[in-house]
Amino acid sequence: MNAARARALVLVTLLTPLLVGAATAAEQVRFVSCPIYRDVDAGRKSGCWLADDPATGARYDVTSAPTKPDWNRAVLVEGVKASRQDDACGGATLDPVRVSVLDAPCVRSMLPAEGYRGRPFVLPARNLAPTGVPRPIASAPRTNRTFHAVFDFGSAFVVYQLTDYLLDEAASYAVAAKPVRVVVTGHAATAPARVSGHELREPASLARERADVVAEWLRRSGVPASRLELRVGADDAPGTDVAGADGLVEPARRRVDIDVLVE
Amino acid sequence: MIVAAFLAGGGIGAYAVAKRVADERWWSPGDGRAFPSQIDYRNDAGVLRVLLDGSPLPTRGHPFFAPTGTNGRACVTCHQPADAMSLSAATARERWEATRGRDPLFAAFDGSNCPTLPQGQRESHSLLLERGLIRVQRAWPPRAADGTAIDPDFRIEVVRDPYGCNTGTTYGLAAAEPSVSVYRRPRPVANLKYLTAVGFPYDPKQGMALPTDAESGAMISGNLMADARAPTLAAQARDAAATHLEFTGALSDAQLRGIVDFENRVYVAQWLDFDGGALDTDGAVGGPATLQGSKPGQLGSTGRAVWSEFAAWEKLPADAPLSPEQRAFRESVARGARVFREKTFLITDSAGINSPIGFGNPVRNSCVFCHNMSQMGNDVAPGQVDLGTTTLPHADPAPHLPLFRITCLKQPHPHYGRVILTNDPGYALTTGRCADVGKITLQSMRGLAARAPYFSNGSAADLRAVVDYYDRRYHIGYTEQEKRDLVNLMRSL
Repeated sequence: MNAARARALVLVTLLTPLLVGAATAAEQVRFVSCPIYRDVDAGRKSGCWLADDPATGARYDVTSAPTKPDWNRAVLVEGVKASRQDDACGGATLDPVRVSVLDAPCVRSMLPAEGYRGRPFVLPARNLAPTGVPRPIASAPRTNRTFHAVFDFGSAFVVYQLTDYLLDEAASYAVAAKPVRVVVTGHAATAPARVSGHELREPASLARERADVVAEWLRRSGVPASRLELRVGADDAPGTDVAGADGLVEPARRRVDIDVLVE
Repeated sequence: MIVAAFLAGGGIGAYAVAKRVADERWWSPGDGRAFPSQIDYRNDAGVLRVLLDGSPLPTRGHPFFAPTGTNGRACVTCHQPADAMSLSAATARERWEATRGRDPLFAAFDGSNCPTLPQGQRESHSLLLERGLIRVQRAWPPRAADGTAIDPDFRIEVVRDPYGCNTGTTYGLAAAEPSVSVYRRPRPVANLKYLTAVGFPYDPKQGMALPTDAESGAMISGNLMADARAPTLAAQARDAAATHLEFTGALSDAQLRGIVDFENRVYVAQWLDFDGGALDTDGAVGGPATLQGSKPGQLGSTGRAVWSEFAAWEKLPADAPLSPEQRAFRESVARGARVFREKTFLITDSAGINSPIGFGNPVRNSCVFCHNMSQMGNDVAPGQVDLGTTTLPHADPAPHLPLFRITCLKQPHPHYGRVILTNDPGYALTTGRCADVGKITLQSMRGLAARAPYFSNGSAADLRAVVDYYDRRYHIGYTEQEKRDLVNLMRSL
């Protein structure tokens, strides 16, 4: 990364809480609870996922999260109440929303449909097309670009139909651009936070682990290993314009920045 | 010998089909027959058809057919054309009777329950004779493709060792070269363009872009072998030569090319059913010809729906010249395809499905959630999934198999916890990861009628047992009619 770019990143890092956090934090819910599966049947992948905020008792519909809950384990819910509420599942719909599966055990909870219709599965916009689907051939781009890969809390696993899509975009660009360097900077949310009585804090090592996963993905996708540079970013660095976080403040901290540098 | 005249329904009148059915079912290594472009074999349900791309293949000296190693076997020994290029337990029994147990199939190394047992006695080969199982010996700890040792995140101990191959001084965890012996069914060596096709550039179950083959630079499908220990057909051939053939040398490039070329040319599928007639008539496109001519790796949900080969039989014309039995069977097959695609149920606590990928636990879906590749029913993505067939508490009781206790040393298994009891750790024997215990690669569903028993450990004696297992495992609640329809579908593949 050149000096000017580094200075710009520092500036963005300093300004981010003002630009992103303050404007949206009040609207964003964040809590830990045991998930509830509502067994509606509107076809494949149509079940509803609900979670009750222990602080308010409010029931939220978290079905649209890229990672769905595991009924055996607690979940961290982070989201925004959707402007359009359809009451398809029996809870206030959060969208965008992220669910992170935690280690804490839960007793399984399943509710019957109870008249809720659920929603037929719709393929998310962020999905990787099969290899059989022709892709447009990208002309060799010659500009620096930054991509982001986002992760669930406490995890370096590539989230299906979210992080995979983002990484594919980054890898496609990096292969086509023939960059001089690709700087992969991992971040982790290391600042402790107390959420619903749970102490949440990602280990600092997760930043490197995430960077390693992204670098391996890029290598396997055809980015020469010699062009990759791995870094560990500042703890809890807020993200700005992190497409995969959809404006959610906390998930934006759990990311890897991929700077494709062509000059 | 013309032995069969099957009455098969057609769109315009009934017609008799007389096919040449192979006289000699068993292919002995080095017997020198030419492998024809088309050959049919009878089985209990009907007739299996085997097709070979291109002209007939002279097999004399061919590395797939010629004995290569030290035990007299060739690849064809365990990949018999009559058994859909696999090996049924019934064929193993026939071979035992025909040779009094002297066929190379029963080689001590892996055609017996353990090489240390007295050979020549039927009891020493009970797993092969009764379940069609071959011993598979995996080094422990596992080694990566480059030969480096993997540090597993679990401990493996032997709870039960019926044949002494896991606790002995020659074979087992305490041997000079520690190993784990598990017992598995040979997989069909046919229709392989589908199993090697890359449907997606990434493996959602592992959260990673697909690896590439160092030799060819091509992406690896991840759909070969029960435990995915060999990523390519060439690697599989090397592995099989060194173990099943007891070949102490290295296959030459020409031998490898010959084996892989043949494997990529073979297609098998059931072609005729004794109850339903030809499976590629009256609008249906079952049988191997369509399989041979189609593009592989297609996702059923976005292209040709899985088992839509039989969609035309959903509405057979009232005046179709079919016997009541034929009509009933064909309608049942068509219903079975619908049930396979459309009957949803809650899939729970299955690693590779409910974790670590974020589908949720549970997730509502049907059989095609995993069996999603058009025309084959394997997984378009790398198909390592734990259905519980080898692992307690879901596995059927199997006192005839070894039992291992797995203790996860870091994170517990996402669904079994810290301690797991299993007859076969499956994919975990390749990766060394506790989270992969019990995962077995999905396989092709073609030619099933020719190659009982089913599942990797032969735990399902017939197709009904397969359906019953799923029904029990996932509390599906199939009706009796649905079960019969699914069985009829599967025997027609």
